Amino acid sequence: MTTRPEPPVAHDDPPRFLPRAELDRLFGALRATGRTVIGPTIREQAVTYDQIDGTDDLPIGWTADTAPGTYRLTRNDGVRAFDYGIGPTAWKRYTHPPRIPLTVSAPSPVGPTVAPVTPDAPPLAFVGVRACELAALRIQERVMRAGPAGDVDHAARRDAALVVAVECAVAGSTCFCTSMGTGPEVGEGADIVLSELDEGFVVRAESGPGQVVVDALRVDAASDDQTGRATAQVAELRETMGDPVPTAGLPERLRAAIDHPHWAEIAERCLACTNCTLVCPTCFCTSVGVASDLDGQAATTDRTWDSCFSLGFGRVAGDANFRPRVADRYRQWLTHKFSTWWDQFGSSGCVGCGRCIAWCPVGIDVRAELLAVAPPHAPAGPIPWPVAPPDGHAPAPLATVEPARYVETEVTDVRRETNDTVTLRLATDDAALLAAQPGQFVMVAQPAQSAPPISISRILPDALELTIRHVGPATASLTAARPGGRFALRGPMGRPWPIDEARGRDVVIVAGGIGLAPLRPVLDAVLRDRPRFGAVRIFHGARTPADRLFVPELAALAGRVDVEFAEIVDRAGPDWFGRVGVVTQLFEHATWAGAGATAFICGPDRMMQATVRGLAAHGLSADRTWVTLERNMACGVGLCGHCQLGPYFVCRDGPVFSVAELGDAFTTEGL
Amino acid sequence: MTLAAATSGRTAVPARPRIAIVKFASCDGCQLTLLDLEDELLAIAERIDLVEFAEATSQRSSGPYDVLFVEGSVSTPEQAEEIVRLRAASTLLVTIGACATSGGIQALRNWADHDLVRAAVYPDPTMVDSLATATPIADHVAVDAEIRGCPISPAQLREFVTALLVGRRPGLPDEAVCAECKRRNIVCVAVARGITCLGPVTRTGCGALCPAYGRGCYGCFGPRESANGPGLARWLERDLPPADVARAFALFNAWSPPFRTVIDEAGGPPGPIDGRPTPEASDAHH
Repeated sequence: MTTRPEPPVAHDDPPRFLPRAELDRLFGALRATGRTVIGPTIREQAVTYDQIDGTDDLPIGWTADTAPGTYRLTRNDGVRAFDYGIGPTAWKRYTHPPRIPLTVSAPSPVGPTVAPVTPDAPPLAFVGVRACELAALRIQERVMRAGPAGDVDHAARRDAALVVAVECAVAGSTCFCTSMGTGPEVGEGADIVLSELDEGFVVRAESGPGQVVVDALRVDAASDDQTGRATAQVAELRETMGDPVPTAGLPERLRAAIDHPHWAEIAERCLACTNCTLVCPTCFCTSVGVASDLDGQAATTDRTWDSCFSLGFGRVAGDANFRPRVADRYRQWLTHKFSTWWDQFGSSGCVGCGRCIAWCPVGIDVRAELLAVAPPHAPAGPIPWPVAPPDGHAPAPLATVEPARYVETEVTDVRRETNDTVTLRLATDDAALLAAQPGQFVMVAQPAQSAPPISISRILPDALELTIRHVGPATASLTAARPGGRFALRGPMGRPWPIDEARGRDVVIVAGGIGLAPLRPVLDAVLRDRPRFGAVRIFHGARTPADRLFVPELAALAGRVDVEFAEIVDRAGPDWFGRVGVVTQLFEHATWAGAGATAFICGPDRMMQATVRGLAAHGLSADRTWVTLERNMACGVGLCGHCQLGPYFVCRDGPVFSVAELGDAFTTEGL
Repeated sequence: MTLAAATSGRTAVPARPRIAIVKFASCDGCQLTLLDLEDELLAIAERIDLVEFAEATSQRSSGPYDVLFVEGSVSTPEQAEEIVRLRAASTLLVTIGACATSGGIQALRNWADHDLVRAAVYPDPTMVDSLATATPIADHVAVDAEIRGCPISPAQLREFVTALLVGRRPGLPDEAVCAECKRRNIVCVAVARGITCLGPVTRTGCGALCPAYGRGCYGCFGPRESANGPGLARWLERDLPPADVARAFALFNAWSPPFRTVIDEAGGPPGPIDGRPTPEASDAHH
């Protein structure tokens, strides 16, 4: 089933005709609007999108032959300028550049400050945007403006670009836009659309700024013959391209293939070299790098293209890794493109440009891999996580794009919890920070360090508390903080624990190790309003007695008669007279019934999985069993891609999830 | 102490750490990189106590060292003993360059008959007390960090020293050269021109130097994380005889496991085992 792109909004102005010999008028008219023109030109034996001056720079008389792992520029000796298919450059190079400055830190009397860099977005004209590429610009714009906070750099660059699309008259062997519904007819979003005939160009203005440029060409209307031939040539192209990828039911088929043995077979061939993702016009993932002077006072961070194929992409504090195997990474990429993108953004993440096929250095062809992993006849197996129906996808609403906001806070109290963990009290009068909800987190920025996400361990009228374990360099300097120290916070971020949903019900709280920290605001809220809840049961596990956090508060809990509180440690010391074992032992033989209760759980993955199984045995329902997940939350607002878990961004859609929402995503290895 | 601990600010490297640079079997090119940090050299020199660096000072030290940079592979019995002593005298041991991290070009002899190689090089090999293999430092002692390359990059050395002094994680990416080619907008030489390129299996750090000049990557920085040498070799063998594919891998980082596997499958590096290169074998790749 092929689908057609959404047609552009009809425009009253009739198409014009720009004779081939007058093509430079277009470049002149674009430059007259103050824009630098980016367009196709030959460099390093390929057609790339670089700055061009005019017609002489275009690849007239050239085409390209593509196949899996191969691209060859070849002469066709024709008169046309746009018969080269798809080259290696994606337009995201100009709307979402490979490297941008993000923040600058500079010394100041009260210590170094962190400030975001204002984007520098030059006005550009993109000439030669293909139908699939226009679709990619739309898709990436959806991603970069999705809530809760759009990307200010992308917005500035996209808004500063004028798009001159050129409808394809030829297609490469790696093209499959007809299957993805993105071409070859040019859809919406262009300012000007060109159709190339041998004698010149049919020109349509599709926006106000486009109309200004078209009017400046001072050319006549196209004849019916010319517009007819332009329409016929793209229709003919559609016929020759056919429908190489059966997309009906593809998102569901891929979901059902999450444990397919073919992923491991692909990993034998896949080099995980990142080429497919970096040539992909919709892939958006980035990482942040830090540079500094020798004193660590003057520092910058920059944001660079990254890829879910690199090992570091799935790495979290302590050097654990969520996608250690290449098979995990290929599965992430393919299922994201063709399946979970729908859940996140309401469309496919693939536009069928075929770059990932041609520019894979070992010729891996997504079309073939899709057929192997999720063939059209595959039975719709059990779906590993619940999703909206295919026609009911509800992506996050578009956000108001604002620059990242860092709020300076001051350390007013430091309490050492264990030998590697401290609780910092950070005073602030910032209303947004103080409106934080239990379960939310903040990003803590310091000069010359990455900004880790830290969950809030107490919300006070004039301060937030953060309980931080030393696991790496950034948390090292945080845990070494002293009163008077200053940190810039960004947030609060993430979805809170649904405490209101628990009112009137029994509550079960299960914490393991540092997992007690994000649950402490739940305890605060429940105990503050104790009569509004049913029975409250709290189970706490730690590695050793010396690893217990908030020791005075634990003692106070043990003394309360209105809560059931039990503790256990993995390994006891000489001063421990309590229970030894794992946290599930605290309730596995208990007689209380959990039906109707709400559970809040945080701890290491295995502890949470065991706890969820144990609570299910007590009758707790999956949709009232809540966990908070750890992932590599690097940007905190769903833009960098690091924290994806199946259909979710943990930072944006979580970190708090119900077990029902997660489904198998909670337990599948390597997701 | 691991690098993570050293850069964590807790187990602090002293404010003015004692640093030494020593060499084993190598060409000195990597340690000279320190002198290439011309603009920053004085500022760095003020922040560290450089107790041994034969390329710049005749001062010698028997340790202890806060940070010891080691260049070169272990190729003689004395070196095998010396590296153990140096490890014991060092808080952090950092290998620099392909020789120290994977054995270097001299590790090609690991596939050959040791006596034949010595006879080919020295008129009187009985005077030479060398080991049958040239091996990376990590085969002998624990290594806290690696700075890769043949030679190492001045930018990476500067980043490492800066991160050490500041107490942050050094930005030494372990991804493929391909990522840097794509960010720099370099057209893939393998796909667009059919040039043999080790970029997909090689760690970045050079800034994609060779592809920027239209050449394939020679693998100077050694295998990247998850390097799939056999996967790349199988693809290259569609157009090339296995010996030519093995030759591409048989350079500065030949002895690193992901590259060694490819060479082993081809029966060792191409060429005779007496160590004397044949004219046709010496230049085929380049």
